[in-house]
Amino acid sequence: MFKISPLRKRQVIGGGIGLLIGVLIFVFLTLDASKDYVSIGPMNSGHEEISCVTCHADAEGNLSQQIQSNLSYMVGARAHSADFGTKDVTSNNCLECHDRPNDRHPTYSFSEPRFKDAIKNIDATSCITCHSEHHGARVTISKVNYCYNCHQDLEVEEDPLDISHKQLIASEEWDTCIQCHDFHGNHTYEVPHKLKDTIPLKTIKDYFKGGADPFGSNKKYYGLSEPEWVKSLLNK
Amino acid sequence: MKAETTILEKRLGLYILALMASLVILNSCGGVPEKTTTVSNGEENVFSVEEVLEMVAKENDITRTLYTKAIVGQGKKQGMKFDEDWRKDEVEAGPLPALFLRGVATSIRKGPVPLGLYLGSDFPINNANKFEGKQAELFEQIKIDQKPQFFYEEEQKLHTAMFADMASAKACVTCHNDHKQTAKSDWKLGDVMGATTWQYPKDSLSYKATVDVLNAYAKGTVDIYVAYLDEISKFKESEKPMIGDKWPVEGNYLPTPEVFLDSVRKLSSYSTMKTLVASK
Repeated sequence: MFKISPLRKRQVIGGGIGLLIGVLIFVFLTLDASKDYVSIGPMNSGHEEISCVTCHADAEGNLSQQIQSNLSYMVGARAHSADFGTKDVTSNNCLECHDRPNDRHPTYSFSEPRFKDAIKNIDATSCITCHSEHHGARVTISKVNYCYNCHQDLEVEEDPLDISHKQLIASEEWDTCIQCHDFHGNHTYEVPHKLKDTIPLKTIKDYFKGGADPFGSNKKYYGLSEPEWVKSLLNK
Repeated sequence: MKAETTILEKRLGLYILALMASLVILNSCGGVPEKTTTVSNGEENVFSVEEVLEMVAKENDITRTLYTKAIVGQGKKQGMKFDEDWRKDEVEAGPLPALFLRGVATSIRKGPVPLGLYLGSDFPINNANKFEGKQAELFEQIKIDQKPQFFYEEEQKLHTAMFADMASAKACVTCHNDHKQTAKSDWKLGDVMGATTWQYPKDSLSYKATVDVLNAYAKGTVDIYVAYLDEISKFKESEKPMIGDKWPVEGNYLPTPEVFLDSVRKLSSYSTMKTLVASK
């Protein structure tokens, strides 16, 4: 039954090797231990321990259904395409662990029409604008002067600073904002009154790259760990 | 020559058979269920987005006025504190009305109903909440006639409505006039202090979707009020009000979330029901 024609021997051996390699690749890619090789880059600070499925949930339907749905979509037989493999990751995935009531700049607040010009420069409605994943960093935005997009008219009554906010804004020292104020307001941090006592820009940039937290360890809110996240889903 | 043609025909037949088999296997499970827009009975769109946003804005007016007058205004007379930094650990206070609204808006955002709610002004305490562009333009008209303004925000593809936010209680006026960072210190009762902006993606809503919008707002009210009661439970130095069925007007009391929501519903039900059951 399995008699192979001598003329086809090479074809069969080639096919067999190909099949074996394919199975091995499939097994390797689906192993938990292989996630570093599958991932497009190292996880960001604080995310080192979380597994892929925390963000990359399986898309609806099986592979065959997804292929069929997308082929149907291609030929115009259905209105929407279907996610293939895994669902798209959105800011809602981030908020499942990082949402908190005291966020000074929650993403949703920038959906208001008056921010439409600002979000053309910096899309603050989306977490990944500043926190792009798989970069082994904490904050991935290249410049730290983003406050200028919304706070040009800032006026502080009884300004306690040695160089006032007004002066800093007039001289476009937008890099200095982050030296006192963390964007999400998640630290209990005593803000200095003298510019020379503020956190140096280099220290801030190192923190963005994943270094020590210059605002201190007294945080108001901590993101959920993976087991806590699972628990929160079960309690929904 | 004929033999070659037969082999080719056989191969072609095999390919077609394999293709057919693949298609059968591929289609055997059916596709991923698509979220259809087919309307079932009772799910027809019966309200325009303007009508729905007017309904929910009306509920918001009643809720905010109740909170401002009966909780903040009367609560202050009992020694209760309300602060913009109410969430800070070292501050033992409740949310000011504007922050109460922000809390409602946050809760709505977390839910499945695609409703946006924002508060702004031309003289806000925080300059970042100052109206710009189209909103600033329409707010000028709102200040004149206090009528709602509707527009379609092209870039966001959202139906947008703005409603006057009035100085309806003495507490609104005094707090804003006395605030350290106020840009205007001559507010008086009845002034248009700002406007709420509401957004929704569709131009018309079914009865169910309308009730979902109203429920999302009511849930938001409960969520922020519960958050306030949670803060009170953590008070270390301030006296904690008794939580039950009494209101601050009777002493150091606060209503439970159920009692608070019940009062909102009693005050708003007539107007909302009238619109909901209007011969559609």
